[in-house]
Parts: sequence; C-alpha cells; structure tokens
Amino acid sequence: MWLWFSKLGSPKWFYELSGKWLPWLIAAMVVFMTVGLVWGLLFLPPDYQQGFTSRILIVHVAVAGTSLAFFPLLLVSGTITLVWRMKLADMVAKNAAILGAWFSFITLATGSLWGSVMWGTWWEWTDSRLVSMLFQLFLLLGVISLRSALEDSETAAKACALLSIVGCINVVIIKYSVEWWNTLHQVSSPVSMDTQSPNGPEFWIATLIMIVAVYLFLSVSLILSTRNEILERERRSQWVQDLVSKS
Amino acid sequence: MSEKQTTTSAAFLATLKRDLLIAFKKKNDVVNPFMFFIIVVSLFPIGISPESDRLTEIAAGVIWISVLLASMLSMDNLYRADFEDGSLEQLLLSPHPLFFLVLAKNISHWLVSGLPVVLVSPLLAYMLALPEEAYLTLVLSLLLGTPIMSLVGSIAVALTVGLGSRGLILAVITLPMSVPVLIFGTLAVQSTLNSQSPLGYLSLMLVMLSVSVSLAPLASAAALKISVN
Repeated sequence: MWLWFSKLGSPKWFYELSGKWLPWLIAAMVVFMTVGLVWGLLFLPPDYQQGFTSRILIVHVAVAGTSLAFFPLLLVSGTITLVWRMKLADMVAKNAAILGAWFSFITLATGSLWGSVMWGTWWEWTDSRLVSMLFQLFLLLGVISLRSALEDSETAAKACALLSIVGCINVVIIKYSVEWWNTLHQVSSPVSMDTQSPNGPEFWIATLIMIVAVYLFLSVSLILSTRNEILERERRSQWVQDLVSKS
Repeated sequence: MSEKQTTTSAAFLATLKRDLLIAFKKKNDVVNPFMFFIIVVSLFPIGISPESDRLTEIAAGVIWISVLLASMLSMDNLYRADFEDGSLEQLLLSPHPLFFLVLAKNISHWLVSGLPVVLVSPLLAYMLALPEEAYLTLVLSLLLGTPIMSLVGSIAVALTVGLGSRGLILAVITLPMSVPVLIFGTLAVQSTLNSQSPLGYLSLMLVMLSVSVSLAPLASAAALKISVN
C-alpha cells in the first residue's frame, strides 16, 4: 500500500499514467461538453418563470459547483505537501489555485450575467453566495500572490500549503458569517434567490451533464498544467531529457 | 539566558517582557499605526458627509475597517526586526514549545498596537456621532476582535517574513480573512443601535477568539519554521 502511495508521488510515474488517461478524458469531456452546451443553450425549453435566461444557469451552476471543489482540493494537496513532502502534490496545488481563481471568476461573471436579467442588477450584496464567492476568489488570489512572491520553490510550496489550509478553514467561516450577515441585513431582495424553483427534469439532466463536463474540463486542464509543471521542474532529470530528445 | 533550566512559563514571560521593552524603545513603530488609525477615521466625514445622521449610520463600519487597516500596518513589525537581527532563529532553536513563544509575541503586539486603538475608540465614536449607548458594545467588540486580527494576521506575517517588501501582499492575504470579525463586530454595534442585545454576537466573537488563541499560534509557529530555514 505504501509502495503504491509513494509511487503516486513520483512525477515520472504520474506523467506516464496521465499520458495514458488523457486522450480518454479529453474525449469524454468533448462529448459531455458538446451535448451539454448544445442541448442546454440551444434546445432546452424555456423556464416558465425565467424564460430563456434559465439556460445561463446550466453553465453557471456547473461552474459554481465545480469551483467549490478547489479549496478542498487545496486542503488535501496542502496536507500532503506538509506531511509527506510530496513534490507532485505541490505541482497540483500550484495549478489548482490558478484554475480555482479562474473558475471563481467565471462563476461570478456568469452569475452576474444571469442576475443582470433576472434581478435587474449585475451585483447584489444581499446574495450571500455572490459575496462568499467573491471572498473565495480573494483568498485564492492571496495564495497565488504568495507563491509568486516567494522565490525559493520549496519554501513557496510549504508556505502556500499552510496558507491553503488556513484559507480553507476560513472560507467555511466566511461563508456562514456572510449568510448570517445577509439574513439580518436583507431588507429587500429583488427576487427569490432560490434557483431551485420548479424546473422540468430536462433542466436538471442538462445541468448534470454540464457538471460532469465541467469536472472533466477541470481534470483535463489540471492534468495538462501539472504535466507542464513536471516537465519544467524536472527538466534536469534523465527521463525528461530522454523524452525531449525522442520527440 | 542563564545556564539553569528555564520553565516554559518563564520563557513565555521573558519573551513577552522583551517584546514590550523593544516596543517602548522604538516608539515610532507604536505611534505610527495609532496615528494612521485616527487620521483614516477623520478622513471619512470629510469624504462622505459631515451630517451627523449619516455619520451615525457608518460609524461602526468606519471604525472597524480603520482598525483592520491599522492592525495590518502594525503587523509588519511583528517578526521583521527579529528576523533581520537573527533573534527569530534563536526563538526557533529554544527548547520551549514555539506555540507559547509565538503567543507571547502576539500578546505583546496586541498590547502595544491593539489596546491603544480600543481605548481611543470611544473618542472617535463620539466624533462620528455614534449614540452613547453603543460605546460599550463598540469597545467590547473591538476588545474581542483586535486580538483575533493579531493572531490570524500573525500567520500571514510569519509566512512572508523572508520577503523584502511585503506590505501589500500581507494586505492581500490578511484582509479577506478578516471578514467574519468585521461582520460580527459591526453587527454587534448595529444591534445595540436597534436596541437589541448584542450578547449573541459578542459571544460568537468570544468563540472565534478562543479558537484563534488555541489554533492560530500553531499555524504561526509552523509558518515561521517554513520561512526561517
């Protein structure tokens, strides 16, 4: 079991294995993404309350759900970095922070696109999810800027791991305190924030397909950027040199 | 240090005393954040409105945000001088648990930078036309909130202690983390203004304080070990 575990941490092993998986993951992503986007954005019947605007939600809900996975991901990889000093975990964490910031940003962007039609405003402080997503973005940007500020890569790995763990605890506290703040401050809200108003089953199937598609997209981009990182950091090792001279 | 075996509590007190002594020798580091706090608060009425009705509405938020900014500025001094003259390494080499030594440094930092701000806050609250009945809540919420900021901010300072210029990165890391404290601190004052009991919020802040006292020094200690190697 431990042999397997330490093997997992070897960048070379990961590079070879992920190379085998990658075509399948990309193929699955393309299928799910095409089905989800074409069906969701072009053919889905309009919601009886929201009209065609509900089609934005297909993308928004999928991206938002996925962006919640980043802090747990950073927590796990940070713990692995600190406890087992696994280089691979840090390579994943570095790219996960950057991807997480993008996902949070896209969540906010698609959310305000939808909000601009449904609520009549691009930004609404009374919606606690919007506010806590904003602060998740800020926390991730903090992790990214800490890494870029620290020059020594080993120090940066451990420092970012620690900050990610602290940030993960914090993002939970922020989420609940913002919710609390809102329920008390909420004087008027433009519409019900409940996106789970009765929708047809098609809506949920389309959303599910999109969620799978976005998760696949996340895995593919994370694997691709981690492979890139492996090649860059291990550029002096023999197997990378062999790989480069072969191609 | 004497050659005799010292107890952890003696080391704790020695660190506390040393840091306080240094703070009183270098008055600039103590006075500047304090002055910064007073000046920032005084700028708000000029920027927003001199009418007392409007000031009453924003008073708690203005004071709280200025406190956060001031505490962040003063945080910079927490480990830097020690890092530069090497005494931080001595601290890490000490046989006593780093947890208590870090806690001592945090406490002395709060006594020097947090407490003065808390003490002067009623004066500024008066200037911002906050009704008198909210003074006590404001002071209590600051009394509970500023140590949390010192303890949590200490983690970020410890992580960035080796960097040359880190004023802004410290802000980027620490300020988002201060959201819960800001929310409960201002809500406590608001609820007093609405003649409700602020006790719920204050006890939540007490919970956050006890959690950060017990966990944040651990993270700070780990961060210091990462930064100083």
